[in-house]
Amino acid sequence: MTELGQIDLQSLAAGHKRTWDAFVVAASPLINAVVRRALASYRLSDDDVMDAAQDVFVRLCSNDFRLLKAYDPARAGLSTWLAVVSRSAAVDFARRRRQATAPLDDVPESVLAVEDRHVEKLKIPEGLLTERQTLILRCLYGEERDVAEVARLLKIDAQTVRSTHHKALLRLREHFKEGAP
Amino acid sequence: MSTERTPLSDRELWQRLATDRSVAPAAVSDMDFAAWLEGRLPEAAAARIEAAVANDPAMLRAALDLADILGMALPAAPARIAVRAQALVGAGAARQTPRKSWLAGLFPAFGEGFRLQRGAMAGMAVAVAAVGFVLGGGLGETYVASRYVSTEASTIPKPFGSDTINELNDLFSDNT
Repeated sequence: MTELGQIDLQSLAAGHKRTWDAFVVAASPLINAVVRRALASYRLSDDDVMDAAQDVFVRLCSNDFRLLKAYDPARAGLSTWLAVVSRSAAVDFARRRRQATAPLDDVPESVLAVEDRHVEKLKIPEGLLTERQTLILRCLYGEERDVAEVARLLKIDAQTVRSTHHKALLRLREHFKEGAP
Repeated sequence: MSTERTPLSDRELWQRLATDRSVAPAAVSDMDFAAWLEGRLPEAAAARIEAAVANDPAMLRAALDLADILGMALPAAPARIAVRAQALVGAGAARQTPRKSWLAGLFPAFGEGFRLQRGAMAGMAVAVAAVGFVLGGGLGETYVASRYVSTEASTIPKPFGSDTINELNDLFSDNT
């Protein structure tokens, strides 16, 4: 079986049938996994998940493969880019499907609660924390992820995450001590 | 009564930053997002994406999910997904490389292909016609021949109608 990295991108973007078929076989597990994860909170049927995966492939080949032609291998790997595109397509699909089939009142409260958790934004005093410190705190406290997950996301080791977290908290404590009445 | 405050936990400290100010999520292209996920961006560009991700919970969840999925062994997808997707690009579609005719095969080096080939073919057709015409005597001989016939016909007097009568006789006569 052909790996995604072995796909001839020029031939794929030129629309050659054999290359497209090989690409579909290689990309299906990734697209399937990303779409399923993205749609998990939307409670859609298995057929809907299939349709969402098909939607990703339609996006890739429509308008004379315009989206595929926009991919730049010098900037990111095909798998990563494909995962990002699949996620965007799946979320768009779910929004369309929910708008088309379910009025807001019919959506269970528990499903809405997933969205509500993040409605309130956290204010970071400008310049107090770096972007990375803010991101790490949001992952750990806002998303309740563990240090290993954050390290994997940022491509750094767990000790660096802990250290950055610690420095961020020192700054915050200092800020609140100064601001206390 | 003690005025000393109970120290806040890390989480409580973080939650004290809650406010009603909302920051509009910055637009991040799929390509930039993918490059950031792979850690390929320079520091300044990465900081811009990290700020956007930190301010947009949906983007943050997407980043965490994708980092997780890209780092794990993936299960096989249902065969139906591949079958349907493969049908999107047809075997007989226009995307297939068109077969070359033997004449088109004579011009393999033309980058622009079609237009040049058409021009060359038209030129060849004109050349063949011209050669044929010249071999057949050309305009001058045709003109001379037609002049000769018309002159000859006009110098020999014929009785009116005799040609027609002779032709009819020849037609119905059994003699060869």
